[in-house]
Order: sequence, then C-alpha cells, then structure tokens
Amino acid sequence: MSQLFLRKFVSRVLSLTALALPFGPLSATAAPSAANLAMIAEPQTLDPMGTTADLVGTIMQHVYEPLYTFDAKWNVVPMLADGLPKASKDGLTHTITLRKGVKFHNGREMVADDVVASLQRWMEVSPRGKAVAKEVASIEAKGPNTVELKLKTPYAPLLSQLALPTGMAAILAKETIAPQLKDFIGTGPYKFKERRPDQYTLLTRFEGYASRKEPASGYAGKREALIEELRFVPVPNANTRVEGTLSGQFDYADLLPVESIGRLEKAGSAVVPIMTQSFGFPYLVFNTKEGVLASQPLRQAVQIAFGPGEMMAAAFGDTRFFTVEPNHFPQGTALYSTAGGDKYNQRNPAAAKEMAAKAGYNGQPVRILASRQYEFHYNMALVMAEQLKRAGIKAELQIVDWATLVQRRNDPKLWDIYVTHSGQFPEPMLSPPQLSEGAPGWWSSPAKQAALAAFNQEMDPAKRGALWGKVQQVVYDEVPYINVGKFNSLSARAQRLQGYTPSAWPFFWNTSVAGK
Amino acid sequence: MLRFILARLGGTLAVLILVAVMVFALTRLASGDPIALLLGDQATAEDIAQARVQYGLDKPLLTQFGYWVKEVAQGNLGQSIFLQRPVTQALAERAEPTFFLATFAVAIAALIGIPCGLIAAVWRGRLVDQVFSAVAMLGASVPSFWMGLILIQIFAVWLGWFPASGYGDPGVPLIERLHHLVLPATVLGVLNSALIIRFTRASVLDILNEDYVRTARSKGLSERVVILKHVLRNALVPIVTVVGLTLALMIGGAVVTETVFNLPGVGNLVVRAVLRRDYPVIQGTLLVIAGIYVLINLVIDLIYMLVDPRIRV
Repeated sequence: MSQLFLRKFVSRVLSLTALALPFGPLSATAAPSAANLAMIAEPQTLDPMGTTADLVGTIMQHVYEPLYTFDAKWNVVPMLADGLPKASKDGLTHTITLRKGVKFHNGREMVADDVVASLQRWMEVSPRGKAVAKEVASIEAKGPNTVELKLKTPYAPLLSQLALPTGMAAILAKETIAPQLKDFIGTGPYKFKERRPDQYTLLTRFEGYASRKEPASGYAGKREALIEELRFVPVPNANTRVEGTLSGQFDYADLLPVESIGRLEKAGSAVVPIMTQSFGFPYLVFNTKEGVLASQPLRQAVQIAFGPGEMMAAAFGDTRFFTVEPNHFPQGTALYSTAGGDKYNQRNPAAAKEMAAKAGYNGQPVRILASRQYEFHYNMALVMAEQLKRAGIKAELQIVDWATLVQRRNDPKLWDIYVTHSGQFPEPMLSPPQLSEGAPGWWSSPAKQAALAAFNQEMDPAKRGALWGKVQQVVYDEVPYINVGKFNSLSARAQRLQGYTPSAWPFFWNTSVAGK
Repeated sequence: MLRFILARLGGTLAVLILVAVMVFALTRLASGDPIALLLGDQATAEDIAQARVQYGLDKPLLTQFGYWVKEVAQGNLGQSIFLQRPVTQALAERAEPTFFLATFAVAIAALIGIPCGLIAAVWRGRLVDQVFSAVAMLGASVPSFWMGLILIQIFAVWLGWFPASGYGDPGVPLIERLHHLVLPATVLGVLNSALIIRFTRASVLDILNEDYVRTARSKGLSERVVILKHVLRNALVPIVTVVGLTLALMIGGAVVTETVFNLPGVGNLVVRAVLRRDYPVIQGTLLVIAGIYVLINLVIDLIYMLVDPRIRV
C-alpha cells in the first residue's frame, strides 16, 4: 500500500514539475495589446464617489469622467462640459452647457438628466460632495444639454471640487445609479470589464469614445485609448513591485520605495524611473479639542520644538526626494505664499521649553498616533518624539496599524498628534480636511472662519493667492496642523510604455506599448 | 470504522463552533474600522456613522453574531465589505492558486525530504548524514521572504526564466499559471523539506533497531528490499502525519511567500482582510481554513489505518 501511495505521489509530482518547467514566458502569443500596471493595493471599491482614496480615482478616471478637469498647469478646464460655466453677476448661478454626442459605455448619449442625477448622488454619497452640498442651493436640468447650479453663497473651490479625480463628481449613466453601484457605466476612454480581487481590475478600450479635440494637457484635452486592455494589478509589497519592474513583468509600477532608485537607474535602458515633483506632503494633525494640546500656546511650543527638516530627512533619506519649505503650495503656483514661514522649521528646544513652561505645561505626555503602513510616517514619529524630549516635553508613541489609526483619530480622547500625508492638490479646500469644519483635530476658530470665508468667496484667481497667505498665516499661528514639507514620488515604467505623462493620479490614455 | 469516523466528525463540528465564536469575538474586539478605511481621508465621523448603518455594523455584537451564524448555517459566509462579492466567491477564486501551490510545494518537500532523510538514517553518522542534517538545519532557519527575494533576483530578474510575481495575466491557460508557481513552490518546498528530513531520519532510525529488521536481514533479503519494504513502510506513519500537517499549514499559512510573490492565495486573502478589517472575509475564511485543517487531520488518521493495519482494529 505504502509503495503504491509513494509511487502515485512521485508520479504526480513529476508530471506537475514537467508541466511547469519550460523556461521563459509562455504567454506572448496573440494577446491583445495590454499594459500590466502594478498598483500599491487592491482598490477599496470601484465606486468613484464612494471614497477619496487615490487608488480608486487613479483606476476609475479611465472609466468615468467629470464635467471639468485639470490641465498640465492645474487650471480647471472643461471635460464633459462644453466650456467653463457661465456665472451670473452675483456669482451664485452657474449655467453649464454639456458637450453633445458623448456616449456612455452602454451606447446611450449623455444628457443633462444624467448629470443632475450624478451630481445629486455625489452630494449624498461622496465625502467631498457632501462638503459641496452645504454650499449648493439647487441643481436642475434646463433642456437636454444644459444644467443650472445655484449656490447659497459664492464658493470659489466649486470647479476644483467638480474636477478632482478622487471622490470624483463622476457622470454616471442615470439608469445605473444605486446606493451600491453594480454596473460601472461611464463615458471614459476605457470601460470596466472584470475585477478579480488581489489579481487585477481589467479595463478595455471603449470604441465609441467621444474625445475632446484640444491637444492633450495634463488630464485635459484629447484622450485616446491606444492600448486595448489596461490591467491594474494590486502588488502591495513594494519590493515585489520593484522586482517585477526590473524583470520586465510590469509596464508601470506605482510608488516605489525611494531606496530602490539606485537599482532602477542601474537597470539599463529597459526601465525608466519616474520622479513626480511635489507629489504630496506629510502633515501632523493636532487635537485642538481635548487633551494637553487643546492649549494653543502649548501647540505653538511644540511647533517651535519641531524640526521638519530632520523629519523629512528621516522619512525620505535622499535629498532628491523632498523639499523643506514653509510655503504650503509650490513655488510658481497661484497660491504660493511664505506667510508665517518664520514659525516653520525652528527646532529650538530652549525656546520651546520656555514657551511650554509659560503655557503651564507640567509633564503630561503628548500622545503621538502613527502607523507603519507608511514607513515614513513611523520614521517621522520617531524624530518627533526625540525633538519633543529635547524640549522637555514628554512624548508617548502609539504605533498602530492604519485601520486602527483611522478609527482612533475620530475619538478626541485618544490622541494628541497623528501623522498622515496627502497628495499636493491645486486647491486648499481639497486637502487637508482640517481646513473644513468637523475633521479630526476639530479645529474651529473665528480667525480660521474669517480667513477661509474671504478666500472661498473670492472668485478672482489673481486675488486668491494673497488671501490664501492669510489662511496659511492663521495655520502657523494657531497650529491646528503642521505641513512638514513636500515629497516627490518615485515610480517606474518599462521603456516600451510610451507617451506616459507623470501625474499625481497616473493615467494611461494616450500611452502605448511598443512591440505588443 | 464507521463509529470512528462518526465520532471524529462530531469532534470536527465542535471544533468549528468554537472557532466561529472565537474568530467573531477576536475580530470585533480588535480596534480598527473598515468603514473609515473604505471612505477615505476626507470622510467625517458623521459619514462613517451613516455608512456603518448601511453595513449593519451599528447593531449590538450579539445581534450581528446571531445573524452571521444563521447565514453560515445556510451555507452563506456573508458579503465582503471591500470586494463587492460574497465571501464564498472570493474564497473559490483563491482555491486554485492555493491548492496548486500547496500540492506543488508539499510534493517538492516530500521529494527532497523523504529520500534525504532515508539516506541520512541509513548512513547515520557518515559525512552524507552530517551534510543533510546541516542542510536541514539551514533550511529550517532561512526566512522565506529572503529566499523568495533571492530566487526572484536570480531566476526572474537575471535569467528571466520565471515571472517575478502574480498568477498570470487574465485568461492565460493553466500551464502558464502553474509556471508562476514554480518559484514560490520551490521556496515553500525547500523550507518545509527540512522538517520532513528530520522526521524521516528519526523515524527510520527507530525502525532500523527493530527486531524484524534484523530478522529480515538474517533471512538474506537484499538491503534494498529491507530498507524500502520493511523499514520505510513502517516508518511512514509519522512521515505521513508531518506531510499532511505541512499541507494543511500551507492552506492559510503560506502568507509570507504569497506576499513576496503576490499570489492571490487564501493566506493573502486573510492577511489583507485583517489589514482592512473586512470582518465577513476574516470570519468566513478562517472558518473554512479550520474546517480544512480538521478534515486533513481526519484524512491523516484514515491513511494511518491504511498504512498501519494495527490501528484498524
């Protein structure tokens, strides 16, 4: 019996081994042109409105389109709308004319009813849309291709909010709208085909796509699906993304560890490292509601103790990957301002100690909540604790996983500072959420409200820059959060992926795969 | 025999009920919130509370547990919060890579482990024994992620013989998917062979001292017949156990290897579900893994009966 068992066992193993042994890739035959795109995780959902997660926006912006989008210089330009909206003199009524002949993936033409229903869903479902809903009086269809949006008060961030690919104000086919989307029918250059969790999300070219005619610029202008099939492959392990890129398995790999730059550069001509400048910013949120840092003078003392330069170095290592500067918006952009910059990167333990003593600090621990989901958060937290200690302030590190952090930060009793980061967006009202009311940290003050009201109601872009400076000044004065600096991201593409434009939410229309 | 099987099945049911209670309690007692993760950074506490109602997470824990048990009794493991599909479907999709990976790896482990263990025992104390024992120690001590990365570096990046990760592009034939399993199965196989070498060696050494082996030799049987027919067959009982347990372990426990090679296996499903607190997936998968574990133990016992007639009585 045992010999029989063994014999069967051995023969089965041998046959399996023989099956698998032929060397070299086996599947190069007659496949459609396709790109394998290694992403950092499995998308939380495919509902473009359901979350503000970048990954969901990155994937679903190929399927769904908003009324407006951003060009290469972060200007808001029309996408499904025909042109920028016509605003009434009081700035309250916006008339949006839609493009004609735009087809959904089910073949039906997009009309104003789809837009009204979609925006209404967005204002009910999307965290971003809910914020906008507070400003909106009504949305109505005025004919098949015209939508009228009325505001309660002038609200300058409106178009940016409508344009962002995350938590997107996506235009859905009205008949697919449901609390939980089942059919993902949009107007984008790619249509949704299949999702196999932890294996891939598959999009295929939409042959009936109605492209804009303007030349491509950023997310705007002409979009052409040159690759037949896009495969977004979740590869959460960063090393595996690096190895897969080096071995030629992936055409694109998103967000690689900065330590891998050396290997990517040495890999030869088949792999091209991509650095996206000012990709995002880490920020430290302070609990202004309860606990030891509810005291504004003590928050100021902590700000004096902190050295963002050291934190960024610990977080990103290579100086090519970060910038230490007080301006919350990059130089050369409309909102660039150094207001309050003298309070940034002081790293002065003596002054901090004195200030803390004046604020009545008597040794209570400052609880720092951070996660190792992002290693740079953890590294920054270690430096923070050290800098606080030098200033005689007791620090207590609470290192938890990300799921715990996003839960605990909603309870003001549990923490004093938490570490997070955000993408660098062109409009402050998009991030960080602490600029709105009610986000963790619960920052609310008359100075904040006055500065933000002035900023949000000013429709003239030329004047908004100076008004943002005033908001930034309040942030440095009241210390609801600290914008630590800016970091660049590292991604990589295979040489054969051509026409790729580096961007915050990578897109793959207008790109092609040579030799596939 | 039938009574034996029935008794074991009863035990199985008790174990599963215990697992269900513990898994439910542990996942809910752990901190973390799937809804806060689902909605993203801009969601307010109010948004999160609203969505929790939608997923029934606002109900008291006992009510949630009762609802889950009722569903499970009907063969329904619930609906994943993140994957937009029933847990049973998510599991079924992972069954293939996990099954092939485990079988493939156990085959490699047994193919290396049993002959090496046998040789080490027969030539006990000689150089070959020392070499095999040293290799076994080394194999048991090497971390799987390290070995995985080394194999990827050599066979995927330098030589390009095997893919670095994943389970094949959409719609590729089975043979291509198996091609993706060669490196991870080698890692798991080599690492797990260490245990099998040591078990085989010890077990064979025990048997070699038995009277009936001396009798067989004195009958004039050739050494080959003595070793393969009399010794190995009798030494197989503990070896089968360890091979079976290795197989069971790989169904949910090949997590590190699955992560390094980005394989969509059951282990990966559990770990990612834990990280995002996808309660229905954690509960359902652990319950199924426990079920399989218990089942494999049952099968091992049955194989004992086949291999060793004394247990049948």
